[in-house]
Amino acid sequence: MIKIEKRNDVPMALYFFTPFIAIILTILGGGIIFYILGFNPIEALKFYFITPISNLYGLSELLLKATPLCLIAIGLSFCFKSNNWNIGAEGQLTFGAIVGGGVALLFYNQEGFYILPLVILAGAIGGMIFALIPAILKTYFNTNEILVSLMLVYVSKLLLDYLVVGPWSNPEGFNFPETRQFSDSSRMPLLFEGLRIHAGIFLALAAVMLSWFILYKTYLGFQIKVSGLSLKTAKYAGFKGKTMILVVFMISGACAGLAGVGEITGPIGQLHRMISPDYGFTAIIVAFLGRLNPFGIIFASLVVALTYLGAETAQIFLQIPKYTGQVFQGMILFFLLASDYLLFFKVKILNLKKNELRH
Amino acid sequence: MATDLRISNISKIYPGCVANDNVSLQFKSGKIYALLGENGAGKSTLVKILSGVISPDNGEVFLNEKNLKLSSPLDAKKNKIGMVFQHFNLFETLSVFENLSIDATEDNKSLRVRINEILKKYNFSIDLDVPVLNLSAGQKQKVEIIRCLLRSPKVLIMDEPTSVLTEQETEELFISLKKFCDEGILIIYITHKLKEVLSLCDEVAVMRKGKVVSVSQTQNEKVETLANKMVGQKLAKIKKKINISKNKDEIFKVKHLNFYSDDPFETNLVNLNFSVKKGECLGIAGISGNGQNELFQILSGEIITPDTSIIFRNKEIAKLNPKQRREYLMAFSPEDRISQAAVPELKIYENVALNNFKSSNFFEKGLVNERKIKEHSKKILSDFSVNTDNVELKSQFLSGGNLQKLILGRELITAPELLICYNPTWGLDVGAINYIHETLIKINDQEKSTILISTDTEELLKLSDRIAVIYKGKLSKIMPSEEVTPEKLGVLMGGGSID
Repeated sequence: MIKIEKRNDVPMALYFFTPFIAIILTILGGGIIFYILGFNPIEALKFYFITPISNLYGLSELLLKATPLCLIAIGLSFCFKSNNWNIGAEGQLTFGAIVGGGVALLFYNQEGFYILPLVILAGAIGGMIFALIPAILKTYFNTNEILVSLMLVYVSKLLLDYLVVGPWSNPEGFNFPETRQFSDSSRMPLLFEGLRIHAGIFLALAAVMLSWFILYKTYLGFQIKVSGLSLKTAKYAGFKGKTMILVVFMISGACAGLAGVGEITGPIGQLHRMISPDYGFTAIIVAFLGRLNPFGIIFASLVVALTYLGAETAQIFLQIPKYTGQVFQGMILFFLLASDYLLFFKVKILNLKKNELRH
Repeated sequence: MATDLRISNISKIYPGCVANDNVSLQFKSGKIYALLGENGAGKSTLVKILSGVISPDNGEVFLNEKNLKLSSPLDAKKNKIGMVFQHFNLFETLSVFENLSIDATEDNKSLRVRINEILKKYNFSIDLDVPVLNLSAGQKQKVEIIRCLLRSPKVLIMDEPTSVLTEQETEELFISLKKFCDEGILIIYITHKLKEVLSLCDEVAVMRKGKVVSVSQTQNEKVETLANKMVGQKLAKIKKKINISKNKDEIFKVKHLNFYSDDPFETNLVNLNFSVKKGECLGIAGISGNGQNELFQILSGEIITPDTSIIFRNKEIAKLNPKQRREYLMAFSPEDRISQAAVPELKIYENVALNNFKSSNFFEKGLVNERKIKEHSKKILSDFSVNTDNVELKSQFLSGGNLQKLILGRELITAPELLICYNPTWGLDVGAINYIHETLIKINDQEKSTILISTDTEELLKLSDRIAVIYKGKLSKIMPSEEVTPEKLGVLMGGGSID
């Protein structure tokens, strides 16, 4: 008979170490899948995890992909730590991009130092407003934030679709579903000539520092921590629960909005249908892989960004579809949850014969 | 055929709690048996063992002298033990028939015929094709009962079945249960409601703290004798010095406290009025589940009720949240130490910071002042003799007694004018209980007031200056504690009346 018991004392060190175990298991799992598909697993894994970052351009691409993941995951950590399940970061990213992109399009034929800050601000506010919808519905009408935030993803994606095909489409664009190119003043400055990595990375790093400060050094952070561990205690301590829900959703939405605006003013430079390869959803994995810890999230965003790059390389060199990237992301989450389970519970195999003898 | 169910030396130990301690009982068909006890007495554990949800650490169950191996609910079903839980296990969006057909072994046509036979036989009126969510609580329970009857059970266990029923539905249920009993089904009825035991059951076993403390014929019992068995009457009556003089100021006054909840598992409170004088301990007795939870939360500000007036030190505080009430020098010690009063995963000093009053300066301009909190925590640990001086220790490593000392210390170090506590010594060992009782008496000596909501009669008689009893959300008249005897409390706690 198998018996599962809760462990009383889980060492903190092990808690931060299990993500590494999950990553190693993911790589092993990936190797097995490649083997079954008939590839040399060592070679395939090399294409997946080493080739993409073996040159400067690759490293720049890695940081480029990690930037939005890190930003969104930082925002999500506020929600998840306080027991608010915002699943709709992808929608908040899209809506932030729409609002920020709208402002950028207003200035499409103008130059000026003030334009980029305005665009970024608009993007953050857009994401914030979109995140407020599930937050307000949750606090005042008791709706489930998981469902509402998730469904709003499709609302914002369809809105973006409508805008780029209809009213905002480029008048000189031969009916392609895309807007005009933004003016240079609306673009994120590039950090190095010839590489795509842009100043948005500083937004992500600032978010990491700021979130660390808020979570560990302020009263708001303390309230988030307590509410996440026990809502009953938060109520008993007299925390303003509704305000806190609104605040964490706003932080989370603003971060997702920033990520969205960073994409369109960075590598993309206009609005079109495919502004995000599901960064908003993947960032959920990043947040948990990083243990909802700001510095853990930096690390996790790099790992997960690598799965995006690896998938693209593998598609080119091994002709496997790039959606294997999602397989890897799924495996990371799966192995993380599995090792967490074993971390918090111990499985005992009882000796049945002994029991039967006693009867 | 007669059924004979025997439980022999059942023990189940959870970390830090003996849920069942060597329980042996015998049941025979043709009678309705009551299993009576307070919340946490071990009834539910025993029932879960009988229904195969959990397995005992020790002991055996015999049905008609056959040793049963109940390692899953399926085993219980196979052995014809049926169970209706307090919380229904139904799919709300499926129809009644779909719910019943889920675990059926026969085809839908013959199943429907059998269900209709049962409906007719017991006079149940339920439309089989409406979704379960459209049914009343009583009808949902009938669906659960039908599910058991379909398997022609030998034993039917009902866990707190009337907690969600109206009076009318309760009567109907009792009629059905008596019918089942006449047909030879052995019925075990779990409850903490004394009147139901007396009106329905033939034999009653009382459990307390995991043990069976008495088995008797209900005809020989009265509400008060059962109540005393349930809460554990102890004859020794150590009372504190009554230190109240009649003309002291009222410091706390509650008027028109009404609470209505949509949740059938909560108790409604009906027009509670009481006041507390300076330096006085007001005791509120009652069997758990009679509205104490709701009352505590309203007094602490976790629930705000409209139209209630709560005056504290001449100020109206009924609309304030717990944090704001603390600023007026109230303090609260809830019943649930582990998931409400403190968070086990937090360090000691973080738990101390939960009582964040303005003058504490724990959080200045929104920032954490860790140094201040730690200093304050050290003082609590030494002043209230908690057996550690490490404020960085996670609270989960404190024993129940030390955790309660920490919580009381946190609440009392601000020198509050009124402390409201709910079962402050629940589950503690004798040493810790004495320490906490001494502390509570000391507060009254310092002219501070306390409201003690407790299910422990002995504790109430020892500490209170005046006592009232809460029963089904209503408060009895408030009596000076020298006029109160355990017997009187027993009558009131069981819903009787005295004069």
